[in-house]
Amino acid sequence: MAANETFLITGASGFIGGWLVETLRLSGAADVRAGIRRWSSAVRLARFPVDIVACDVLDPEQIAQAMDGVTHVIHCVSGSPEAIVQGTANALEVAHKLGIRRFIHLSTTEVYGEPSGEVDETYTLQSFGNPYGDAKIEAEKLCWQYHDKGLPVTVIRPTIVYGPFSGTWTVYLARRLQSGQWSIFEGRGEGVCNLVYVADLVTGILLAARSDQAVGEAFNLSGPETLSWNDYFRRFNAALGLPELATKPPSRARLRSTVMVPVRMTARVVRDNFEAPVKRVAQRFRPAKKLMQVLEQFIVTTPRLSELSLYNRQATYVTHKAQDVLGYRPRYDVDAGLDLTVQWLRHVGLADEHNQPEQ
Amino acid sequence: MPEHLSTKPPTIACIGCGAIAERYYLPALARHPSVLEKLILVDRDDARARAMADQFNVKRWVPDYHAALDEIDAAIVALPTNLHHPVSMDLLTRGVHVLCEKPLAESADKAREMVEAAGKAGVVLAANYQQRLFASFIKVKQLLDDGTLGKPRAITYRVGEVFAWPTVSGFYFNAQTSARGILRDRGAHVLDIICWWLGGKPTLIVSQNDSFGGSEAVACVQFEHDGCTGEVKLSWLSKFPCWYEVACERGAVEGDVYDYRSILLQTGSGRQRRLALPTREKLYTDIAYRIVGNFVRAVAGQEAPIVPGADVLNSIEFTDECYAAATRFDLPWYDIPEVQHGR
Repeated sequence: MAANETFLITGASGFIGGWLVETLRLSGAADVRAGIRRWSSAVRLARFPVDIVACDVLDPEQIAQAMDGVTHVIHCVSGSPEAIVQGTANALEVAHKLGIRRFIHLSTTEVYGEPSGEVDETYTLQSFGNPYGDAKIEAEKLCWQYHDKGLPVTVIRPTIVYGPFSGTWTVYLARRLQSGQWSIFEGRGEGVCNLVYVADLVTGILLAARSDQAVGEAFNLSGPETLSWNDYFRRFNAALGLPELATKPPSRARLRSTVMVPVRMTARVVRDNFEAPVKRVAQRFRPAKKLMQVLEQFIVTTPRLSELSLYNRQATYVTHKAQDVLGYRPRYDVDAGLDLTVQWLRHVGLADEHNQPEQ
Repeated sequence: MPEHLSTKPPTIACIGCGAIAERYYLPALARHPSVLEKLILVDRDDARARAMADQFNVKRWVPDYHAALDEIDAAIVALPTNLHHPVSMDLLTRGVHVLCEKPLAESADKAREMVEAAGKAGVVLAANYQQRLFASFIKVKQLLDDGTLGKPRAITYRVGEVFAWPTVSGFYFNAQTSARGILRDRGAHVLDIICWWLGGKPTLIVSQNDSFGGSEAVACVQFEHDGCTGEVKLSWLSKFPCWYEVACERGAVEGDVYDYRSILLQTGSGRQRRLALPTREKLYTDIAYRIVGNFVRAVAGQEAPIVPGADVLNSIEFTDECYAAATRFDLPWYDIPEVQHGR
């Protein structure tokens, strides 16, 4: 292991960024610097004696300070389309100026749009109206522009990443399953769920960061097995020790999701503009608090239409290139990954019968 | 309505203009116009002090409290935890009354020094352990003290809230100033309330956390006191209902930690009923208003501090014991190939 490596992880307070910091710190494989935007998001990282630095990717001066003395940058910033696109542009520009040895950009398989069949890295990137995917497409274009200017860039396209600290595919899904309102989506949940356990993804990213053959390349990173979304729900549900899931007819699932569209929009407007007064009302009046909890639970347990579409997508993101070029060998099958995931959920009090959210 | 202050209001310095000053102390001080009139803000970040002065109509601010020592009668110490002891000691030994943010000090030894210094100087040392004002917790204390439910047999206390405090300095996570996390922060309230309910310091059985040399984000403590066992679980990494239960010989009481206007009471018959508790404090800022008002009146000798510094020594000593005995949780998800190869 090269002793003179210093990694900067941007977006280090996020799910994957945090895992990269922790893994590098625990392995002692390289010096690591954790770039964050707000101190309040440092709680997970601060458990380790790591160098935590301010690195708002919309602030080029902060980026320059954070990248000073760094050899490798792993760019994990997510968030708004602006943060993704402009933040990536800023990070690339500073990395290029400073002559950073390697720049790893974390993208997503959502850049392929809504494909079907086997999808490898040669598949054309396609917008399908998903702001996150679209922003990542723009960010990748910027990456290749800077690669052409001489910055050694690698792009990583992870699939559905789950595991400890995952919000969407672990904590949120566990909450849905625990609600008793989640179900198997008959005819709509048989699409391919391309899961990758987060430790496998981290291993793949670090392999790419140290492979000269990875420069100028993009890699899909997925897990060792694929299953249907309904299978994922069933297996996660079983790992949590919950009663068997009911099956919901396709028309009913779609109807409920459609009905919830305006409800979600209204809730978002209220949250964005009136959060403080609404919280005050809830604090003062118990019925108001109860009503809000019921509404929130209803929103949480109803999949968005875009989610129903994802659960039905028949695409398998293949990782032959990562296996051949990087020697990537994902180790965690779904049962092994879910076992660790549920142990973590219990540890943080999210799979404990005493700590279930109020119904 | 501001409470009546029968004597000349003291000149107070609010030392530290971080998030706790902005969200808690200054809104409360603003409801005491006669105190606000003479208030002096202190922060070495001039822009921050100026911004707070503008926001709360404070006329004066200085970068260093030493510049105001000749003028002030009292101070609110709203600084990072590692500064509570040195700054409070400096003030107390100069005869300045102190209201100190929780935790009173980083260790029981330091807290004891502060209490002794206040005693020697004959000044007030009050601590902002505002949960002692929760009507729910006061009711639990009454029920335990008057024997309505018999002796306590088991206490469970859980707090799961994703850390979102808008810390300005980030001192919580600075290894140079702090390597302590949720047990010292949220746990300061929890362990204080438990010691208060039990009337003494429990005996530690098990203490675990998830620190790898930094500030822990998840902690679990098990204890025993006079036939009553207990478990506290705290998490900054996840949100779950913040909830407590005290099971006693002849019943039990439980509640949502932050619903301080009611408790669920179960008496010998097994029937559980919600007990609404009258309280003037509807919001957190109301509690801050009462704490600050109490401090002002304590300085004037009109009433005793709600939480004198000496009252929290037990919980700080217990916190010290928890840290000293802490072992790391088994965290198998970090047992991954990259880490194993590195080792």
